[in-house]
Amino acid sequence: MLDHILSILIFFPMVAGIFGFMVHKDSMRAYGVAVGVIEFSLSLWLWFAFDNNVSGMQFMEHLPLVPAFGINYILGVDGISLFIIILAAFFTMIGIASLPDTKDVKNMIITLLFLQMTMIGVFAALDAIVFYVFWELSLVPMLYIIGAWGGPRRIYASIKFFLYTFTGSLVMLVGMLFMAYFFYQATGTWSFAILDWYRLILPESFQLWLFAAFFVGFAIKVPMFPFHTWLPYAHGQAPTIGSVILAAILLKMGTYAFIRFSLPLFPDASVYFMYPIAIIAIIMIIYTAMVAYAQKDVKQVVAYSSVSHMGVIVLGTFALNVEGISGSVFLMLAHGVVSGALFLLVGVIYERRHTKMMDQFGGLAKVMPRYATIFGLMMMASVGMPLTINFVGEFLSLLGFYQQSHILTLLAGIAIIVGAIYMLAAYKKMFFGEVTIEENRNLPDVNKRELLALIPLAMITIWLGIYPKPVLGPINNSAEAVVQLMHNKATSEEAKLRIPNVSGVVISKTSMKEGH
Amino acid sequence: MMEIGLNHYLVLSTILFTIGLVGVMRRKNLLLLFFATEILLNAVNVAFAAISHYYGDLTGQMFAFFVIAIAASELAVGLGLLILWHKRHGSIDLDTMTSMRG
Amino acid sequence: MEKYLYIALFAPLVSSLFAALFTATPKKQFVGIVASLLIFSAFVASTILLTHVLGGGEIVHVELMTWMETGNLYIPFGFVVDEISITMMMVVTLVSTIVHIYSIGYMDHDTGFNRFFSYLSAFVFSMMILVMSDNFAGLFIGWEGVGLCSWLLIGFWYHKESATWAANEAFIMNRVADLGMLIGIFLVFWNTGTLQYDGAFAAMANLDTETLTWIGIFLFIGAMGKSAQFPLHTWLADAMEGPTPVSALIHAATMVTAGVYLVVRSNELYALIPNVGLFIASLGAFVAIFAATMALVNRDIKRVIAYSTLSQLGYMFAAAGLGAYWVALFHLMAHAFFKALLFLGGGNVMHALSNELDPFKMGGLGKTMKGTMIMMTLASVALAGIFPLAGFFSKDLILEVAFVDHHFIIYTVLLLTAGLTAFYSFRIIALIFHGEDRHTALGFHPHEAYKFMLVAMSPLLILAIIAGFTFKMPYFEMVTQLLPATEYHVHSQVAYWIMTIGTQLFVIASIFFAYKKYMSPSIKVPDGTSKMENSFAYKLLINQYYIPYFYEEYLVKPYRELSTILWEKVDQKIVDATVDGIAGLIHATGENTRDMQSGNLSTMLKWMVAGTIVLLSLAVVFGLSVRYSGEITTILSGLGV
Repeated sequence: MLDHILSILIFFPMVAGIFGFMVHKDSMRAYGVAVGVIEFSLSLWLWFAFDNNVSGMQFMEHLPLVPAFGINYILGVDGISLFIIILAAFFTMIGIASLPDTKDVKNMIITLLFLQMTMIGVFAALDAIVFYVFWELSLVPMLYIIGAWGGPRRIYASIKFFLYTFTGSLVMLVGMLFMAYFFYQATGTWSFAILDWYRLILPESFQLWLFAAFFVGFAIKVPMFPFHTWLPYAHGQAPTIGSVILAAILLKMGTYAFIRFSLPLFPDASVYFMYPIAIIAIIMIIYTAMVAYAQKDVKQVVAYSSVSHMGVIVLGTFALNVEGISGSVFLMLAHGVVSGALFLLVGVIYERRHTKMMDQFGGLAKVMPRYATIFGLMMMASVGMPLTINFVGEFLSLLGFYQQSHILTLLAGIAIIVGAIYMLAAYKKMFFGEVTIEENRNLPDVNKRELLALIPLAMITIWLGIYPKPVLGPINNSAEAVVQLMHNKATSEEAKLRIPNVSGVVISKTSMKEGH
Repeated sequence: MMEIGLNHYLVLSTILFTIGLVGVMRRKNLLLLFFATEILLNAVNVAFAAISHYYGDLTGQMFAFFVIAIAASELAVGLGLLILWHKRHGSIDLDTMTSMRG
Repeated sequence: MEKYLYIALFAPLVSSLFAALFTATPKKQFVGIVASLLIFSAFVASTILLTHVLGGGEIVHVELMTWMETGNLYIPFGFVVDEISITMMMVVTLVSTIVHIYSIGYMDHDTGFNRFFSYLSAFVFSMMILVMSDNFAGLFIGWEGVGLCSWLLIGFWYHKESATWAANEAFIMNRVADLGMLIGIFLVFWNTGTLQYDGAFAAMANLDTETLTWIGIFLFIGAMGKSAQFPLHTWLADAMEGPTPVSALIHAATMVTAGVYLVVRSNELYALIPNVGLFIASLGAFVAIFAATMALVNRDIKRVIAYSTLSQLGYMFAAAGLGAYWVALFHLMAHAFFKALLFLGGGNVMHALSNELDPFKMGGLGKTMKGTMIMMTLASVALAGIFPLAGFFSKDLILEVAFVDHHFIIYTVLLLTAGLTAFYSFRIIALIFHGEDRHTALGFHPHEAYKFMLVAMSPLLILAIIAGFTFKMPYFEMVTQLLPATEYHVHSQVAYWIMTIGTQLFVIASIFFAYKKYMSPSIKVPDGTSKMENSFAYKLLINQYYIPYFYEEYLVKPYRELSTILWEKVDQKIVDATVDGIAGLIHATGENTRDMQSGNLSTMLKWMVAGTIVLLSLAVVFGLSVRYSGEITTILSGLGV
């Protein structure tokens, strides 16, 4: 069973979703939770069976689909994708468990199960076509979730979300086809396997074009400035569960793809584009943080804060060293947990008041102390308080990029200031002061079902903030492998210089540890 | 007196084709449109036959027969539809047929 | 010894978590008692560690577990008890024990009693991490942790707009400085390869001065935020919105001195870059007099004490900047005792007068609040630096340092500040406790604080009196194991006595002047009409040199406006509008061309003919261009394309 665990992880939710049509409406919630729990346990089993000392791919599966064109069904996980898969399983589980009583709960749960299949598929796929298929399929359930359960402007938001990301992906698809064609030219055989592509060294001029093609697809998904405007609409209109999954997992597909495709395939182009991308990342960080500060709707604050944090992740990725890349992968998880929790928290108040406008609140700390405490914790995590999960990622990302550029890191570091400004301002508006609006006086505090989702997230936030090692270790090994691969493949002088040679470093690290 | 060669046939074909084209573009009556289409097809037939003779290859003439056959069947179907339309609407003016408007 | 280290470190955490269990329940007296006991146990453990260190035992250094490890980076949770950290630990645990006990009384009637203890103990825990950590990253944990607790405690009465505003201001302003600190940490890591103090400082000896200067500057920016040095000082006065025990513990004795601790801890670095040191000293001297002038006129007793803290922090930085690290640390310790005492006394006064803070509305309280009066007076004497109280030994030492090192400008500034310090301290003492009774007319019925609160304060009183002459030498011997053991003696005996006695006389004269001016029966509650209140100097000082105004007008407001512009104009009108514009363009193209599909057979046939002609002509053009490609290339190259 362990040999096929990835396939099981991908297709079990789908099969369960199909059977879900036959389940009675009233028992659907229990069914969904059961499927979510089984899936999550399977993902934990995957982690348990995962060999932390191996930096390469594990649990590989191989099945020919179109052998003539080298399209195969190849799966595998390494330290970078493992935890995102677990996170996806986890969020689907608690998402279903904490689902409020909306209309058509049955359809919602089935949609979520299909969404889970596509998410895990994206992170486990090692063949570009399979990756692309899951990448695009993930749009469909999300389109449905926003379009069917969203707010008043849900049609506009969902179509914008779909078309915008779809356009980007098409450019990416062209890039993939070209990449396969170049591979065919170089070797005489067709292959879409990413691991095969890793072995191909392209001339720098080709790299630049292909990098740009892939970049469009990924940048829209991340979303990077100035391609970010679909996100506030999608978040603004999506139901809570949609926002949670979108922020926690779907956005990570873009940054994950940077590490999986852009960096190892095009090391020279990565170095070439490092500064422009870093500048975009800094614009993302500061600009969206300022926009977040101007928002009146608390959900939009969290939505824009997501963009701001994704900027730090992109920056860490393009640090092109082990510290930065493992930091950015860790921050993906951290941001998933924290922004997911924040969206859930916004959902809690929306359930009660049916508004997300901050001027409708005020003084909630008195009425809902437990809610205020959890919100405060998550806010502090989002701000990057040490000993919470976000800090580890942010610290490492910025530390990594500092090696590349001092002044840009200094600018990016403004994230910790502007982040505090909009978050504290939002918290103050919602929770501090006197209760002025009559309806707020008797709001019930968080109930058991909501705590079921929030408590585990709070625990993870603190646990991985204090002891990130179990996660950071495997990530570090895989990040080292990526950096080493890049260093070996780099052709230009500058790239060789910018991308550190890890194998030399590993030795010095062990000697350093002996010193302790 | 000049001998009649391939070029003359082709010029004739072109003139016929142009007449047909103008007819297709200008005529508002469906029946006359069919006439224009016939002229177009026969312009091609003239060219086919002439070129076929010029190369001494019968394929072109065979093709011309095909065209005649197809033109006949097309006309049969077309006229049938035309009569039906006329029965229903009492007019075969093209400007009134806009139910396919996009 | 490790056992005691863990007790000292984790007892506050246990206390915080224990109190946190009861945050949702109504006030429970035992929560305060248990919390105080746990903090006291941390104090006892620290004392045992102190005797261990004093007894010449080896440095206690433990590594709890790995925190972050990736690439070249290795950060453990490591803790060290050496001569510097034990000094800080003693100060922190002692003052916090007293403040905890005091708070049982002070927060007696507050609904957030249990919550308060949870926050307060969490603060102690963060502070212990800050001072005990053996690496910069651990220091940063504590650094941010105390910032968080400070935010929680300043905004403790969250229903008050001013309190939450001040809390956010403090947090954000500290964040500005933390960025500097973070950059400093990055610099240390990439240049030395480690964040452990011992390894990093050892490697710094081989670095070039420019890098070291940058490291020194960025770390000091971090210190400037926590220690509220100019220009990041405005949050400290506003932080007085928090409950008074918080002000005593966080904003006087411990957290604000973290910056000084950082500079002292990094003494090996700053010793290599004397220019930065001189800058620190100059800034310190400037802040000393700058804050003291603002304290002269302020009409809020807590703010006066806060400015006084700021001023004393300036002294500490002056000493640390001049390389007299042990002197800075010594003044930090002495200052913690008498300043905490002063704040707690101020808290008693506030409590007695239902949170009234204007000393002009008090007067004559000495009759009803004898104990508080004695304590506050003695604390002020110690602060003013009168022999033989603590301030004399620590503060005059800083003056001597400046004098001996020939920094006469700094010396003069600090001397002048000493006079100002004495004046404003006794201004509020005179206004509160002496002179005419002005409070009864305003409807206040003061009462002395609980007995146990006064008893709890008494250790601070004793320390404020004796810390100078009993601790100086043993402390010097202990701490100079680690810090440069420079003794500062004025060479000529005569000059020394002239200086000392001169300073004493100057300070005493200031005190008498303050008494004389503010004990007179003619003092009334100022109503904005007197000549002094309309003078330029007064307005400048009461408005804090218009710096908060400047920040509000030229930083906060533009930021808010720019944010709105970015959202409403740029994000919606430009970025998003472009995207929608592209979509709209495609839509409009379809909308406009759908007329082609008119359904009119005749029109459609015309389009068909037009299309055929276009295609044919394209075919002809391409065919021709292929045929004549040679010629075309020649012509184009002739044109220089």
